[in-house]
Amino acid sequence: MAGLCNALEVRDLSFAYPGTDGGETDWVLRHVGLAVPEGAFCLLVGPTGCGKTTLLRLAKPELAPVGRREGSISLFGEPLDRIAADPRESARTVGYVFQSPEGQIVCDSVWREMAFGLESLCVPRDTMRRRVAETCDFLGMGPWFRRECSELSGGQRQVLALASVLAMRPRLLLLDEPTSMLDPVAERNFASLLFRVNRELGVTVVVATHDPRPLVDYADMAVSMEGGALREVSPDALRDEPDLAEGPLPAVTLGATQVQASDAWFRYGRDDDWVLRGLDLSVSGGETRAIVGGNGSGKTTLLSLVAGVGRPQRGRVRNWLRGSQVLLPQNPKALLSQQSVLEELMEWSRNVGYGRDEAVDALDKMGMGEELLPRHPYDLSGGQQQLLAYAKLALAHPALMLLDEPTKGLDLAARRSLARALREERGRGTTVLLSTHDLAFVRAVADSVTLLFDGQEACTQATGEYFAQSWL
Amino acid sequence: MAARLSRRHVAFEGSHPLVPATCLAGTLLVSMFAIQPVLSCVSLVGAISFSLCCLGPRLTAERLRWQLPLLALVCLANPIFVRSGVTTLLVVGPVEVHAESLAYGACMGATLVSTLLWIECASRVLSADRLLGLGGGPLPTVQLILSMAGRLVPQLLARSREVGSTLDACTAGGGPSSGGKAGRVRMTGVLLGWALEDSVERSDSMRARGWGAMGKRTSYQREALRARDALAAACLALLALGSAVLAWKACSEWRFYPSMPTLVPWLGYLPYCVLAAAPTAITLVDRARWARLG
Repeated sequence: MAGLCNALEVRDLSFAYPGTDGGETDWVLRHVGLAVPEGAFCLLVGPTGCGKTTLLRLAKPELAPVGRREGSISLFGEPLDRIAADPRESARTVGYVFQSPEGQIVCDSVWREMAFGLESLCVPRDTMRRRVAETCDFLGMGPWFRRECSELSGGQRQVLALASVLAMRPRLLLLDEPTSMLDPVAERNFASLLFRVNRELGVTVVVATHDPRPLVDYADMAVSMEGGALREVSPDALRDEPDLAEGPLPAVTLGATQVQASDAWFRYGRDDDWVLRGLDLSVSGGETRAIVGGNGSGKTTLLSLVAGVGRPQRGRVRNWLRGSQVLLPQNPKALLSQQSVLEELMEWSRNVGYGRDEAVDALDKMGMGEELLPRHPYDLSGGQQQLLAYAKLALAHPALMLLDEPTKGLDLAARRSLARALREERGRGTTVLLSTHDLAFVRAVADSVTLLFDGQEACTQATGEYFAQSWL
Repeated sequence: MAARLSRRHVAFEGSHPLVPATCLAGTLLVSMFAIQPVLSCVSLVGAISFSLCCLGPRLTAERLRWQLPLLALVCLANPIFVRSGVTTLLVVGPVEVHAESLAYGACMGATLVSTLLWIECASRVLSADRLLGLGGGPLPTVQLILSMAGRLVPQLLARSREVGSTLDACTAGGGPSSGGKAGRVRMTGVLLGWALEDSVERSDSMRARGWGAMGKRTSYQREALRARDALAAACLALLALGSAVLAWKACSEWRFYPSMPTLVPWLGYLPYCVLAAAPTAITLVDRARWARLG
């Protein structure tokens, strides 16, 4: 597969963001070297904030961050500066897919989104039709070509983001955490599409990710980034599933039932399908219950009914802890509203009665240092925002925690911090109800598991028993 | 809402959006400006029948449930404000009810209701998507802005629901609830911050796909304007123009006050009848053809 020259070649690249005084610790990238042959599928792994995104962005002229740069980057043997001079050349050479399926989509409908890049490059109408048609066929998007973007699932949106970049026919595709916001099924689907793009269309693919497992089977090569430096690793070494638990869960005594749903039916509109169809659930005080199940099985809806935000149209949902509960939404941005991390943590301090020290302590437990306190919450990475949101909720000392996909988009270190915090919360007697796709996380924190399917409880078992009998 | 409407065939599905735009704009304009008993009736009947095709009987009945009382209200309220007219029907206290003012109110009401129905049908036939396609050729940037707005507005609404329910769900923090003033201020703050943050990523995504690189844009056209469509649009435009001229003549010869002349049969009403009936007729003919095939 390898061509004559490398698709992406980085030589002795160092980079520092502006505003830093140029000390040794300020370099985000240090003397990085990388050669990705044409037609390769390369994984760029490393924890959040290690500089993967910076490296990828430096290779896409329109997105290159401003700062001090040393060393050189060339694409297909051409120096990057020459490609940067011609936007058409840049679009033809390198495409970039972002992490969030929500943020990167620009237009209201699928077909318009796919045409967006081609329209910007003034591609004639006939060529445009052909490119859109071929891309759509290749990715199997025909059935939803006429849909509105707001009707699409997260997985479909990410495929659309890929399609709208592929329509410009780039030879190199850079993807920044493209699957971290997706559920496992959508994640695998996206990974296999990416593989087909690589093998059948011959596009060189470089994926930055903190969780390489879904992509490892397709990768030809992998590099690991740590402390701003790159090291080549074998893809096979990335296969192991890391263990989040630090020993077995200590035993706790469970109290009386605190949350109960009996024959709950719910739908969002009169003409909509039922989301919950006769759901039964019972959670004891002090229990950590994980709700697992595919997309659209009703996990988020169940949490909002337990929280009392919605009411079942039939049946009953009772929650004896409603006066002292918190809800961590899927997107932490729905919770963050203050100007700094400190203000965010202190927002409820007067009502609940805690001080600055406890706030700093809560942040520290999530593995985040005091230096973040004056920062604006939006200046944190997505994973840090999630941990901050959790820390804020924990400071309210709730009796019931409702967590919707708490590990979505988190890297290993952050998942470990969260698991540790939840185990501590469990030791304190807090009742926790969490919905998740992350089975390793369930294993680490949950007493029991409820599998939701088709709006009903398919089974509820103790965690050990559930995994022992699980087929998956 | 739109997704819940009937999936049955409706007129103009296979034609360029210019054709329904001409037809419906013509009908709507004549209907709005011609306050005359015959023309108002024609418009109302046309609107109800097309709404039956377009929205289906159930949704039409739902609309008429409040629109017909509205018509009656306008009709009955007019004599209270307008004392003109010579044919006294009855006297209620200080108010003399004249047949002329009652008729004027009825015509106004019919115009109002038919306008509402026509607009709703038009929005069903000409979805925002097709309407944008209409302006895409000459004004690609305007098309893009509208398309972005079409994406951002539903997104904002969905998020405001999410932020509100999160606010209400976190009772342990003792913060404001989404219903109160403090809660609304907070929700606005959260949504604003979120939208601004998003716009950074969106602008990156746009630049990465060549936005602003060329200075101008081309536009992807999903529906081509064919000779057949141009001809149909031209015919409908002529019909609409003819109806407008004849409606103007009919209105200039008609008066409500002080007394109404007698209505006589007149061939001049015919073009407007055809125009108002066209969408329904096309739909029914098409459906009949399909029924025979099926």
